[in-house]
Amino acid sequence: MNFLYFDPGLGAMIVQAVVAAAAGVLLFSKGVMYKIKGFLGILKEEDDAYDSIDIDEKEDTDDTK
Amino acid sequence: MIQNNTRPHQASFRDPSGYMFYDADVLRRAINPIYFKQYNALKDGGFLKTLINNKLLVPHSETSVSQDQIVITPEPIAFITNPYEWSFEQYKHAALHTLKVHKYALSKGFILKDASAYNVTFDNGSPIFIDTLSFDFYQKDTPWRAYKQFITHFFGPLVLASYHGTEIFKMMQTHIDGIPVKLIASLLPGKSKLSSTIYTNIHLLAKMERSHSEDYKAETKIAKLSLKAQNNIIDNLFNFIKKLSIKQETEWGNYYDKTNYNDAAFQGKKTLIEDWVTALTPQRLIDIGGNDGTFARTVVTKVPHVIVTDIDSNAVGYNYRQIQQNKETNMLAFVCDVLQPAPGIGLNNSERNSLVERLQAYSPDVTMALALIHHITLSGNVPFERSAQFFAAFSKHLILEFPTREDSWVSSLLVRKREFINHFDFYNQEAFELGYSQYFDIQKKETVPGTKRVLYLLKNRA
Repeated sequence: MNFLYFDPGLGAMIVQAVVAAAAGVLLFSKGVMYKIKGFLGILKEEDDAYDSIDIDEKEDTDDTK
Repeated sequence: MIQNNTRPHQASFRDPSGYMFYDADVLRRAINPIYFKQYNALKDGGFLKTLINNKLLVPHSETSVSQDQIVITPEPIAFITNPYEWSFEQYKHAALHTLKVHKYALSKGFILKDASAYNVTFDNGSPIFIDTLSFDFYQKDTPWRAYKQFITHFFGPLVLASYHGTEIFKMMQTHIDGIPVKLIASLLPGKSKLSSTIYTNIHLLAKMERSHSEDYKAETKIAKLSLKAQNNIIDNLFNFIKKLSIKQETEWGNYYDKTNYNDAAFQGKKTLIEDWVTALTPQRLIDIGGNDGTFARTVVTKVPHVIVTDIDSNAVGYNYRQIQQNKETNMLAFVCDVLQPAPGIGLNNSERNSLVERLQAYSPDVTMALALIHHITLSGNVPFERSAQFFAAFSKHLILEFPTREDSWVSSLLVRKREFINHFDFYNQEAFELGYSQYFDIQKKETVPGTKRVLYLLKNRA
């Protein structure tokens, strides 16, 4: 079941392949830079609630302890 | 089941999966059978629970389950703010929040099916996703269908604001489904095309939208997009938005460095406010024109919920950062221009409520308007009885600081009237008291020690 209750825009659906390719290149180079910085020991620790896109699933079990 | 004593929520009609309604005073969410499969999968797999435990999604309880309807009751949100009332930092966090939720959904075989900025608001000091029905099953190799919405609601406005300032966010008032891609592209400087992220996500998108706008029969085959590719888009948008910043001259940002009173007067004002507010034992307090929340902060531990609004987006942003740092979960900051408060927008002008309607529903026990009246009166040319009418529409008690004509800010505002200075002779305490007495009783009146300012405690007569 896939109900599309708003128009996602055809161009927007097609363009994503190109957007993803460009993003892939950037992320790859960022990854390389990260490794170089890590190797040189110049990585900065950032303190922001939105530093990482990943969420911590460990909290799942909090209420069952 | 839905009883007779219910009425639909005016903003909830676009999604056939369900709708919000008021059951007497309680806001609940009904889920239609068309969405049962999704809802049960989201619930049984622990997906919703993880989002709730991570404070990403508003918590809810299941109220009733029947064959033709499931009703859930979300925890109430103290006060809904809209995208055009956020500071840059808040807008940015709301965007990152949305991407975070979508990324997690993808990892669990779901997608965020819409990326409306209205699905995020601020509560407990942080952004929170408030549409529990915004998820659907991920279908292998399909692009993100809320992608364009994310660009028009979040990415576009943020990139524009980084070039033109936060005034751009007000465009969300006139474009309820986000700023059109074409318009975003046309407002961006040519050099923005040098960024591969801005180029592909905005300029190229605008181009593609234009070249595919005549596919009336939906015949063109939609390109495939792998899960990995989709994750790349999201990760890259996340990284890019995280680094976005704004260069904007502040109106009040360092206001307290250039105020016309010394430390003792500052402390005296704080003490007066603390004493008066404490005696009233309010549950909810709003500080209008509250800058970065300096004075609201003197009572933040005594009042269960505090709102601070200011016309200056930078001051609001600074306040928001303090709220996050100090974990002041009972304080909410947003941008508001008293002379032009957010109107009701969308269908019937009621999809997103006007600021005054929301303030009336919030019904603060104490309203503070400190050193604001001279701006309203002298910069806005608003007669006293009219500003009194504004405050009386939602306030029970009003603590108002009146800078007299001898105050340096007031004299400066008056001098700038040049040959019309005599038109503002009415700016004095007697006229003020007369105007405000149409709506309020004066309960207390005290000069802030060491200043040319008078603090009033007014009680609404209604």
